[in-house]
Amino acid sequence: MNQEAIKELLYKMADDQLILGHRNSEWTGFGPLLEEDIAFSSMAQDKVGHSLALYTILNDLGEQDPDTIAFTRNADQFHNTVLTELPNAEYDFSLIRHFLYDTAEALRFEMLSHSSFEPLALVATKVRGELRYHTMHANTWVKQLGAATEESIGRLQQSLELALPYALGIFEPSPYESDLIKEAIFEGEKALEEKWKKKVEEVIAQTQLHLPKWETIAPHYGGRTGKHTEYLQPLLDEMSEVFKIDPTAEW
Amino acid sequence: MKSLDPRVNRLPKTDSANTAPKVPLDQFGTFEVFVQPKAGKPFQHEGIVHAPNLEMAYVLAKEAFTRRFTCVSIYVAETRNIHISVLTDGDDDAYNHVSEVTPEGEKTSFEIFHLFKRGKQHQHVGAVVATNPNEALWIASQELRTDKQVFNIWTIRTSDIRFTNQDDMDLWLTLPEKKFRDAAAYKGGDKLKTFLEASKN
Amino acid sequence: MYGGGNTFEGIKSDELTGEDPIKLAEFEARIERGEKIEPSDWMPKLYRKQLIRMIEQHAHSEIIGALPEGTWITRAPGFKRKMALMAKVQDEVGHGQLLYSAAETLGKSREEMIDDLINGKSKYSNIFNYPTFTWADCCFISWLVDAGAIVNQLANAKGSYGPYCRALDRICAEESFHLKYGHHCVIYLASGTQTQRDMFQEALNRWWPPMMHFFGPSDKISVHTEILMKWKVKMGTNDDMRNQFLDMYVPKIWELGFTIPDPNLKKNTETGRWEYTEPDWEEFKRVINGDGPCNKERLEVRRIAEERGRWVREALRTPKTAYVTPLA
Repeated sequence: MNQEAIKELLYKMADDQLILGHRNSEWTGFGPLLEEDIAFSSMAQDKVGHSLALYTILNDLGEQDPDTIAFTRNADQFHNTVLTELPNAEYDFSLIRHFLYDTAEALRFEMLSHSSFEPLALVATKVRGELRYHTMHANTWVKQLGAATEESIGRLQQSLELALPYALGIFEPSPYESDLIKEAIFEGEKALEEKWKKKVEEVIAQTQLHLPKWETIAPHYGGRTGKHTEYLQPLLDEMSEVFKIDPTAEW
Repeated sequence: MKSLDPRVNRLPKTDSANTAPKVPLDQFGTFEVFVQPKAGKPFQHEGIVHAPNLEMAYVLAKEAFTRRFTCVSIYVAETRNIHISVLTDGDDDAYNHVSEVTPEGEKTSFEIFHLFKRGKQHQHVGAVVATNPNEALWIASQELRTDKQVFNIWTIRTSDIRFTNQDDMDLWLTLPEKKFRDAAAYKGGDKLKTFLEASKN
Repeated sequence: MYGGGNTFEGIKSDELTGEDPIKLAEFEARIERGEKIEPSDWMPKLYRKQLIRMIEQHAHSEIIGALPEGTWITRAPGFKRKMALMAKVQDEVGHGQLLYSAAETLGKSREEMIDDLINGKSKYSNIFNYPTFTWADCCFISWLVDAGAIVNQLANAKGSYGPYCRALDRICAEESFHLKYGHHCVIYLASGTQTQRDMFQEALNRWWPPMMHFFGPSDKISVHTEILMKWKVKMGTNDDMRNQFLDMYVPKIWELGFTIPDPNLKKNTETGRWEYTEPDWEEFKRVINGDGPCNKERLEVRRIAEERGRWVREALRTPKTAYVTPLA
């Protein structure tokens, strides 16, 4: 099997989950209502947990241990899509990002549960229940707020338009697409993107939100090859502030 | 506001002079949450969530009540839709206060919950078919009453409950593996012992 | 997390007049038998009032208590700590949710309670008005403030009000993870590098005085609470709780080679009670009345959270559902 292709896939998935889990954890204690504060935190924990599972596979493939990978790299060594590193802004943006990203994530893992690369297929199968909850949560909220008051609909619409170019960046093609498909490791970003568009359309159609035509949205690429916004490095500096006091110490 | 918390420093400014008090009862509906801890065990009342509707209540209840310990299924029902019997004490059984009711209207299914001990939680004991909650109580007294004393009975129309769908049974699949939320994952004994031995020398 | 300090108002001598003596006797007999009082049972007005006050303060302490530790959520070192701290702070919010629900069964809505928190009408545990300067401060809270809270909560779980006791049973079960996690963090600091040890010693020096305040003023100067003890609202005196905490945790702190910043701290082998320098109760009063290092920030953060969430709550309010008091 093509190790480089697998590693590229694992890194971008793991980095996505770590960075978005980290971002979402910033809401803990500040949420719009107590019950939602709790739910959003659980999903952030799930995400960080998924990144750990994926870094652990990478470690088995000869990469460094998960803590070192996560807490010592610089922004240009991260492969997360830019969508995940953007600041939380208000709850409308965080919710729309959660909806757009987790819809893709759930589909990706569903596809990967049939992967010929067994360690990944195992993780993908195991977390399906968690992702089912994430999408149930996201869909319920988007349907609720996307059809409630003028303000909530307006806010979600604005955030949707802001997030969509970055969301399309999730599917930035990798140099290994054909290898992954040929070896039945992963059906490829193109196939995922098509499924994702259908799901997003399906949910948005049940709201008063308006989805722009796909061809009018220019995808924001670059994250997968380490080209990030000014927001990622400060996030990483903050995340590793204690860890880097002494990276050899046990905390 | 300059804080030690970087998250706080990122919070947007809002006008504190302009904070209007909440309108009276700026508050959603109340929903009672029932949890089944293991397959074969009865559902038990665990608490409430506030939510705008049954579906949201279900989504919010899942993490509020089942992110820790074991769970295989939950359901929720709006508090207004729960019919409550008298609360008794001593050796007075709540069913002593239930009398026969003449059926009226269409038959439907009701879920019955018993409080077996004051201070504990209500447990699901079964379902009956009746035309209204009072008749459901009467039928429950015939069909579901046992020797065990009951202090209080709740009756909920089955159709008023948001159950967990068959498809959603895997929501709790990884719960037992989330060890980071488990006291057992934080065994410091060995580390402590090594440390204590080293500090003796 | 809650310590029980300054929980009760002084009771006026006429507050029990006007209660039906027969119902009052039945109520007291039920408590005497060790039975729980449920929301639909008769209860004296004073019992209801003091319980709302206490449970509400407890709930506020949970959601405000999420803030000082939350300060380190984005900086926890390594996966293990990162995930645990996220889950722990989340639990505190969850405990707030459970406790508000218990208080609601007595007739005060959650939103009224949150309003009263933000406008300063109701209090929360004093200890959360102190800052967490380093990761070690966060570890101190996870271990020792939670330990103190558990001493108090285990006692209160044997109280007389059913919904509060049930919430506490659940909370105590969850807190066992907090305590173990906190101790684990501190063991790692203690057995780590000199920098790590110094970090914790400094945190201990900072947090010891507020920790002693945590259980409330000395019985010698605190409000008389006999009737609340008889009704099993308050389950132990402040000094008893403090003594129990010292008994359980001072040896564990010393075991790790740290110094507790009180030269007079020792156990009197004859009385079995701990002796210590009398905490500065003037500072305690000053902080509880708003003049602590972080009072303003804590309330401001809560206010901003409510303000930012306002549009969400407005969008969720529907005429189809209406607020009702929880059942149990």
